[in-house]
Amino acid sequence: MELQTLKPGLETRELYVPEMAEITAVRRLTAMETLYTVKLPGGRDLGHRPGQFVEVSLFGVGEAPISVSSSPTRRGEFEMGIRRVGMLTEVLAGYGPGRKIGIRGPFGNGIDVEKFRGKDVLIVAGGIGLVPMRSMINYVRDNRDQFGRLIICYGSRSDTELLFTDELAAWEKDPRVEYHVTVDRGSEAWQGRTGVITTLIPGLDLDLPNTVCCICGPPVMYRFVVLTLRGKGLPDRNIYMSLERRMKCGVGKCGHCQIDSTYVCQDGPVYHLPDLAKLREAL
Amino acid sequence: MAQHFLEQAKADDFVAHLMKRHPVLAPHRRGRRSFAFEQIVEPSAVVLDYPRTLGSVKKFFLPARETLLEFDLGTNTATAPAIAPAPAVYLGVHSYDLAAVRRLDHNFLHGNPERNYVTRREGALFIGVSYTPDRHHFAGSVGIDPYDTTGSDIFLTKHPEGWIVDVLTPAGQDLLKGFKLATDARPKPKREHFTQHIYVPQARLNEIMAASYNHPVWDEASRNCTGCGTCNLVCPTCYCFDVQDQVAITVDAGHRERTWDGCMLRSFTEVAGGEVFRHKVAARQRHRVHRKFKYLSDATGQPWCVGCGRCTAYCTAGISIVEIVNRLVRDAEREEQVTA
Repeated sequence: MELQTLKPGLETRELYVPEMAEITAVRRLTAMETLYTVKLPGGRDLGHRPGQFVEVSLFGVGEAPISVSSSPTRRGEFEMGIRRVGMLTEVLAGYGPGRKIGIRGPFGNGIDVEKFRGKDVLIVAGGIGLVPMRSMINYVRDNRDQFGRLIICYGSRSDTELLFTDELAAWEKDPRVEYHVTVDRGSEAWQGRTGVITTLIPGLDLDLPNTVCCICGPPVMYRFVVLTLRGKGLPDRNIYMSLERRMKCGVGKCGHCQIDSTYVCQDGPVYHLPDLAKLREAL
Repeated sequence: MAQHFLEQAKADDFVAHLMKRHPVLAPHRRGRRSFAFEQIVEPSAVVLDYPRTLGSVKKFFLPARETLLEFDLGTNTATAPAIAPAPAVYLGVHSYDLAAVRRLDHNFLHGNPERNYVTRREGALFIGVSYTPDRHHFAGSVGIDPYDTTGSDIFLTKHPEGWIVDVLTPAGQDLLKGFKLATDARPKPKREHFTQHIYVPQARLNEIMAASYNHPVWDEASRNCTGCGTCNLVCPTCYCFDVQDQVAITVDAGHRERTWDGCMLRSFTEVAGGEVFRHKVAARQRHRVHRKFKYLSDATGQPWCVGCGRCTAYCTAGISIVEIVNRLVRDAEREEQVTA
């Protein structure tokens, strides 16, 4: 690559002005997480791929990168599952339908669904990692005949923190979804499996060469999930993972989300494991 | 490419001539050993023979503080303020700082060409000037010598009696219109050399950096590092920025402000929930040096260190990027000898 140079008459872009979108529905998922449905002006589609993110803007508070949780097959609106962890999300927690928020994006590469089409799809999601993975899960479910098996492994700290519980119940009933869930510590009411997410993997019956996996979860999770998948015999080339970094601008300018020679907001957040293996700072 | 001569006695007249055409920004003395690029008010205040300015011309294209949006909290709307094009002459820029501008250009042009940066940068004309390397300059090691005219519209080479003037572009030619320079060609003076070097060529350094991830130098070099971020602030190729909203005291309006940020600061990689991806100062130091010599050069084919020596000259803890790199070079070569 050569350095890009300034040339007369160059087309520039206004990169930092958000578009105002309306919150049309707010659904409490847990004590900490809320699902927001958002409509762009005129009900225009966001035009995203599963696994992409947007920058959410509240004037006077700031901007934060938030992953899109709905599948692009859902038209006219999109959803974001948001955990109350910072200033912006705390303020957003007080917002109801009708409020307007700023949106820039979609940003990032997202999941290349072509790599999954025709294959068995294995989703490994830990905690809030289910939020972006839900965009892929619902994409597969809405295009069910284009994919092989859909296997979901979901791990959560406790059963009270499980997200999208109504959808989890639907996945459990759906004969075309193989849904596995575990919690680190269950409450007394929990009758399911207890243990970390990696304990779900050894029991899976996978058609290894035909299975493509996408992983998303807290930073500590990736290494162990990859080791367990490798132990299972799943080749690295069949593994993708979505990473989190501080993404301030979303357009490859601000430098915050750099992992080695890549920017997560441009080259990620979804990385192919063989590429990630070359990046020392990734995991 | 015409060559002229500017006698020292006429230097102020030359500056005054430029000022009739455009605002002119040039190095000024700001303390016993400090220099800074500022808009010229008085031609005699310009210092063309200087070791380095504290900050580079970066601040004019990527201001340390800049309003990205102005918002109204009552109507919940925002607009981007208009950015005025800023045609100006940057006089007395060293070759490494022009090399740094090319790198900044790349960052703000590739992929998504940014209006803010490009609007400020477009009207810039550069008059480069040669310099005498001091104990911190090592630009020669990254292929940028003190007489490198790349990026200059006009280049001034220091001469005992004044300045040899090379006119390099039509815009440079145009700037000189109406000013009479001596046309006698003078022999270029003896070239000055660097005393500070990185001891391997760039291609080899890339390999050495690649193998350096777990080297003890990162811990050692960080022992006195307080993570203050001065090296980032003074670096002419550091472009990282943060964005924060500022609310007016009337609480009905405000602006979204971009400010310089630095990868040596702990908060740089902090995400919601408190996770910090480069928690240790050593990891941040390693990132900074890799960014200059490996990460961005892998991405662009050019080293992102231009050898100005600022990060070392102004480090509050006496940490030298050249020493860090040469330590890696020495150890890599020692290891090679052992294996051979």
